Amino acid sequence: MKRSKLVSLLLAGSMLLGLAACGGGSTTTPAPAESKAAEPAQSQAAEPAADTEITLWTYPIGNWGVEAEVNKLMDQFKADTGITVKVEYLAYADGDDKVNAALSAKSAPDLIMEGPERLVANWGAAGHMVDLSDMIDDTDKKEINAACLTACTTADGKVYEYPVVMTAHCMAINKQAFEAADALQYVDLENHTWTTENFIKAVEALSVKFDDVGAVYCKGQGGDQGTRALVNNLYGGTFTNAEHTAYTWDDPLNIKALEQLKSMKGINFDASLAGGDEIAKFYQGALQMAFCWNIAQQLNPNAANTGAEKTVTGDDIVFMSFPSENGESKLQGGIWGFGIFDNGDQAKIDAAKTFIKYFADSEHTVDAVKTANYFAARSAAEGTDLSGIWADNEIMNEYNKLMPYLGDYYQVTKGWAQARTEWWTMLQEVGKGADVGTVVAQYAGNANAAAK
Amino acid sequence: MAKQPKQTMSRALQRREDIAGYLFMLPSLIFFLGFVIIPMFMCIGMSFTDANLNAKTATTFVGLTNFINLWQDAVFLDALKNTFLLVVVTVPAVTLFSLWVSSAIYKMKMPVLSTFRCIFYLPVVTGSVAVTVVWKWIFDNYTGILNTALKGMGLIEKNINWLGTDGIAIWCIILIMFTTYVGQPIVLYVSALGNVDQGLVEAAQVDGATDLQVFWKIKWPQIMPTTLYIVVITTINTFQCFALIQLLTEGGSGTNTVMFYIYRMAFKLTEQGGHFGYANAMGVVLAIFIAILSAIQFKLGEEK
Repeated sequence: MKRSKLVSLLLAGSMLLGLAACGGGSTTTPAPAESKAAEPAQSQAAEPAADTEITLWTYPIGNWGVEAEVNKLMDQFKADTGITVKVEYLAYADGDDKVNAALSAKSAPDLIMEGPERLVANWGAAGHMVDLSDMIDDTDKKEINAACLTACTTADGKVYEYPVVMTAHCMAINKQAFEAADALQYVDLENHTWTTENFIKAVEALSVKFDDVGAVYCKGQGGDQGTRALVNNLYGGTFTNAEHTAYTWDDPLNIKALEQLKSMKGINFDASLAGGDEIAKFYQGALQMAFCWNIAQQLNPNAANTGAEKTVTGDDIVFMSFPSENGESKLQGGIWGFGIFDNGDQAKIDAAKTFIKYFADSEHTVDAVKTANYFAARSAAEGTDLSGIWADNEIMNEYNKLMPYLGDYYQVTKGWAQARTEWWTMLQEVGKGADVGTVVAQYAGNANAAAK
Repeated sequence: MAKQPKQTMSRALQRREDIAGYLFMLPSLIFFLGFVIIPMFMCIGMSFTDANLNAKTATTFVGLTNFINLWQDAVFLDALKNTFLLVVVTVPAVTLFSLWVSSAIYKMKMPVLSTFRCIFYLPVVTGSVAVTVVWKWIFDNYTGILNTALKGMGLIEKNINWLGTDGIAIWCIILIMFTTYVGQPIVLYVSALGNVDQGLVEAAQVDGATDLQVFWKIKWPQIMPTTLYIVVITTINTFQCFALIQLLTEGGSGTNTVMFYIYRMAFKLTEQGGHFGYANAMGVVLAIFIAILSAIQFKLGEEK
């Protein structure tokens, strides 16, 4: 009997400890008194304790989603600063859920790497992020791409994301398929541009040889920047107004574009594919063009490590801007950088700021940018020139031709998460054959209701 | 006088045993309280508020507003309709099929019986993600084996977008649920049928009862507790279907369910005011439906 009681007590004790451990949270080193002082108004991070441990959650932004690559950066960072960084890798499919669950459980990471649509418009607007404006001095303002900095800044001047890299999202075509269909004549391979008229002709030609040419994927929000850019550019429609206060995708130009796409043989409105699935189908040769593409895909299609600019069968992949009436499209920008969650621990916030300073504004920014496989969001960092860091990379240099087409970064419009849901749900309805004008008005109306 | 110490000893012994018993239960009880009971009450409490992720806004009590709004939410009503369709089709199909298979195999020799049990139980022990990935390949619109086979046989000319078409996708989900849900009921039915009193069966046969009469009058009443368990568990599992929807369709193509909508509302549509409260209200409504349906099933099982 005594033994059984002892065992029960031990079991109960261990469970209680387990529960306590599950509680996680804020059992951290108390902040040193001096670190709670006012932040210095310059481009410097406060000095954190060298043995501080912080957590970074990162989305798969190029090789920032590859553990082996990130470990190299973190090891170097620890050697230089003494700060340990525990990294968790998020997927786009459920990364937001994990962060939102962590926020609701008050166990958010110290650092997060993603774009302004999440860090500024969502978590920042909800009061979870630390204002980083004290890290940006006049020199930084000159060096950081103005559009990037604007996207990372709220209307009242708070900076919730320190930008590191940027790119322009584009589309891609299978060169051999276009050759086989005699459709290369419709493409300006030199400038990577084409007109709407030529796009329509190319799809017509391809649809003779292939059942499936392209997919307006709409299973979910993954990669929806591609379908938005496709629809907006075809006839010059917009997604939001210039002030980013309302969704304008119900304009007649977008309706015309959707009707055009719906009527095209070979273009499927496919509710079984999201952006990532579409990339895979294009890579496998099942589709002849992909609307979800960017430089990271061009360098490593489908993240399959089977060679840059090649499909699985060895066909050449050519990146293209989206078709527009005059051939000059407005490409959807991608901006990625670091933000700090306000977990109430000043020591960790200081350590996180040191991390950001190290990777976003120092000589080490080169490594951070190269790991991301995108372009630097600034021209120089503390004296290190970043404008030519891809000079040795032919593909990156070629991709630079698209950067002048970078369009408005409208993802910071209020109600963005809801608007994305409305967008892909609307595309599903269009795919089912619903009246385009009616469903566009209905779902844009829903998005605007969320923007108020 | 001699009896009194004996009784005292006995009570002390009893108390010690009781304490030991409760201590053994304590770990489970802590988990049950921490992860079931307390969250359940938190869920109910939150369903009457406009709780959300926004740290800048305070949570306020909104009474029955969330519950009233639910009945005006077209997405929720559509999800509810889909959920009931899943339950109405899947539960009888799983129960009848597993009963039929079990009746056919339970008298077989042990090696053969074990082989069948393994085959049917395999999808249960295989991770739902792995099962779903395989089904995703099968149903793939472009390179799926199902389209390839049907085209090869000349049954279809163009690929069918199984998971991307309204009216088809939900039946694909039902099919997958069916294959993953039948394993456990078959194992349970095989065991229950094996425990049916053979004396009664033989007596009925001697009295001239047909196979159907033997099944309906002798076996069916004896396996009723098992049937009830299978029906209730399958109903609850079907109501709570989430992984399949998340991995295959993300709620599109007419496959949105209440459980999936709860998840979307709680963790995706975080900019929507009061999204946690609203999601919790949906959870409460779902729990009420499950409780009502389970109570009806228990009542029917009792009458039988």
